[in-house]
Amino acid sequence: MSLIIDSISKCFGEVQALDDVSLEIEPGEVFGFLGANGAGKTTAMRIVLDILRPDSGTVTWNGRPNTEVSRDTWGYLPEERGLYAKMKVLDQLVFFAKLHGVKPKEAVRETREWLERFRIPEYADRRAEQLSKGNQQKIQFIAAILHNPQVLLMDEPFTGLDPVNAGLLKEAFQEMKDRGKTLVFSTHQMETVEELCQSIAILDRGRVVVGGTVRDVRRSTGRQVVRLAVDGDPEIAWLGTLDGVRVSRRRQDYTEAEVAPGHDPELVLQSALERGCRVLHFEITDPSLEEIFIEHVGQIDTSERTLAPKAAYA
Amino acid sequence: MNGWRTLLPNAWYVAVREYRSRARSRSFVIGTILLAAIAFVATQTPVLIDYAVGSSQTRMEVVVRASGVPSDSLSVLNQGLNGPQASDPNAHETYVLSWLPGGDVTAAQRELEQGKFDALLIVDRDPTTQDLSFLLRTDLTQDGGAVKAISSALTNLEIEDRLVRAGTSTGAVLAPYTLQVVPVNSSASKANSISQEISVNLLSTGLIVLIFMAIITYGTWVAMSVAEEKGSRVMELMLNATTPLQMLTGKVIGNGAAGLTQYGIILAAVVGGLVAQGPIHQAAVGSSSAGAPFGGLNPTVLAAFVALFVLGFVFYSLLYAALGSLVSRQEDVQSATSPLMMLIMIGYFMSIFGLQAIDETWVKVASLVPFFSPYLMLARVSMGHVEVWEFALAIALLAVAIAIALVVAARIYSAGVLLYGQRVGLRQVLRAARVSR
Repeated sequence: MSLIIDSISKCFGEVQALDDVSLEIEPGEVFGFLGANGAGKTTAMRIVLDILRPDSGTVTWNGRPNTEVSRDTWGYLPEERGLYAKMKVLDQLVFFAKLHGVKPKEAVRETREWLERFRIPEYADRRAEQLSKGNQQKIQFIAAILHNPQVLLMDEPFTGLDPVNAGLLKEAFQEMKDRGKTLVFSTHQMETVEELCQSIAILDRGRVVVGGTVRDVRRSTGRQVVRLAVDGDPEIAWLGTLDGVRVSRRRQDYTEAEVAPGHDPELVLQSALERGCRVLHFEITDPSLEEIFIEHVGQIDTSERTLAPKAAYA
Repeated sequence: MNGWRTLLPNAWYVAVREYRSRARSRSFVIGTILLAAIAFVATQTPVLIDYAVGSSQTRMEVVVRASGVPSDSLSVLNQGLNGPQASDPNAHETYVLSWLPGGDVTAAQRELEQGKFDALLIVDRDPTTQDLSFLLRTDLTQDGGAVKAISSALTNLEIEDRLVRAGTSTGAVLAPYTLQVVPVNSSASKANSISQEISVNLLSTGLIVLIFMAIITYGTWVAMSVAEEKGSRVMELMLNATTPLQMLTGKVIGNGAAGLTQYGIILAAVVGGLVAQGPIHQAAVGSSSAGAPFGGLNPTVLAAFVALFVLGFVFYSLLYAALGSLVSRQEDVQSATSPLMMLIMIGYFMSIFGLQAIDETWVKVASLVPFFSPYLMLARVSMGHVEVWEFALAIALLAVAIAIALVVAARIYSAGVLLYGQRVGLRQVLRAARVSR
């Protein structure tokens, strides 16, 4: 009872888009795909959707190959936002719902409900080209879920959304999760992943470099992170001199240091107290996903090393 | 395979969407109105020409200096020029005669030069033979028809005069008579009539142009709508909701129906224009025009036209859709579809030349080839130079070609729609088509 991607490989000419990728995504789970541009996230999603066929490997949902699963199983929010520019929002959404077998009346009702929830009910009769990009994105999200799919695949759903709209979308995620849907999405935004996902996979050049629950991934290095702030000493120069401790980041509100495996992070607090510091903040945590991502993939690459096209229409 | 899931209802939903968005677009509405207006005006060309020339009346003054002309001379002339046996009945011309017995030649000459009249006829009697002699002053000599008509009417007058002088006077000599023409058999009469041959030729050319225009215009619409979907990235949403085959079918049907709607409106304007031609001519010029512009159009030709039109359109639209899926922007549609354009042009010119060589072997062979049969078979059918089995074979081959085009186009389409970027080469498409669903 899960979405299983088994040993998938896919080449586009010279480019190895996916190289023996295997993943297991539990039903009802929120799953994050992390990876630089061109890592293979979009290709993986298209293969799950059976829009592309892999060179080798299989995808199964609840034990059945994806080529035999009904299309209505999937809800897809593509990375490249696209709607029929001249078509009214309501007509457009009802059209997509109908293609998935939803009855027109029901589609209209559901659409209006979601527009309400996204606080854009007045856009129902506007043409798509009259909407801002953020609002078009919300329309597309509605298009992806109107037919009540079991699995939602979303490619960079938060890109280009302002914090308010991102918040609305996160609420919608929660709603879908509460309805028992399986959510898979890709993103660059590590905080979003930490906030929403139970499990993740980090892809690099078509390979899964690390995967599992967010907790396990963050603990996978064995290192721990301490965050320390003391009164009257923003530098905390002595911190780096402790055995097995390396200062990784200095911020205005605290200093962050990595504690190597085998060393007790409690010792940091102890030595602060020994030095007579007044401790304002002390926290032991696991390395952030961003650190792990950078460790595995290198710098987050924002350059266009991607197969995905640039959007042609705005 | 998913690609071969049932076509309905999704193909239908796609078709309806395509039709609506096409028919509601400003370019469609404006284009249809404009084309219909142009078509209507075009049907009034004969009226316009007559009106512009304005010479449907020839005003002629007749100065009679001869003595003893027959008392019914004026009516004989009138009969000869304007009556049913006039030598130039199709000229739509009427001759208005001013009869001036013993009139003043100098005064009449002046009026002629002032343009009050188009011709001056002076009637004298030859002193030696006692026959009537005629002098015609006019610039109508360039227009042979008028002079011929006048001279033939004058022959009647001369005969009448001689009969009167011979004492055989009778006003009934030149009374109208009827001549009934009965064809020997229909095909021979068709072949015999040159004017009908020309009219059939015109009809064939007209029907070929109709198909040609429809395929190019509305085929391009299909390609455009595919490219637009790809350009706006709706394609990815659509691909999750439908299969390429459903999309392809819906697009061809939707755009085709929109095209046929526009065509129907334009044709209605043409028919309306032709019907209105007579009354308009009457009102504008003062006489009704003769002529049947659709000579040779019979139910058989019409049925063949509809069949070839629909099948040819579907066939080419599928190819247009496949090619449209290879480009990412609407601007590139033109260049991507140019090979198809060439093919269509070749078929078109073959059929236009073929009209003059309708019984040549190459015409017969090419009229069975699906790429060309919509034109060439239509040419043969409208010229009446075709066997039933040949027509049936051409239709059957076209239907098979459509089935093949559907499969090939769906493959290219499903591969092409996800290939973005620069123009896609044939090899890339074939490779992609092999691995895609």
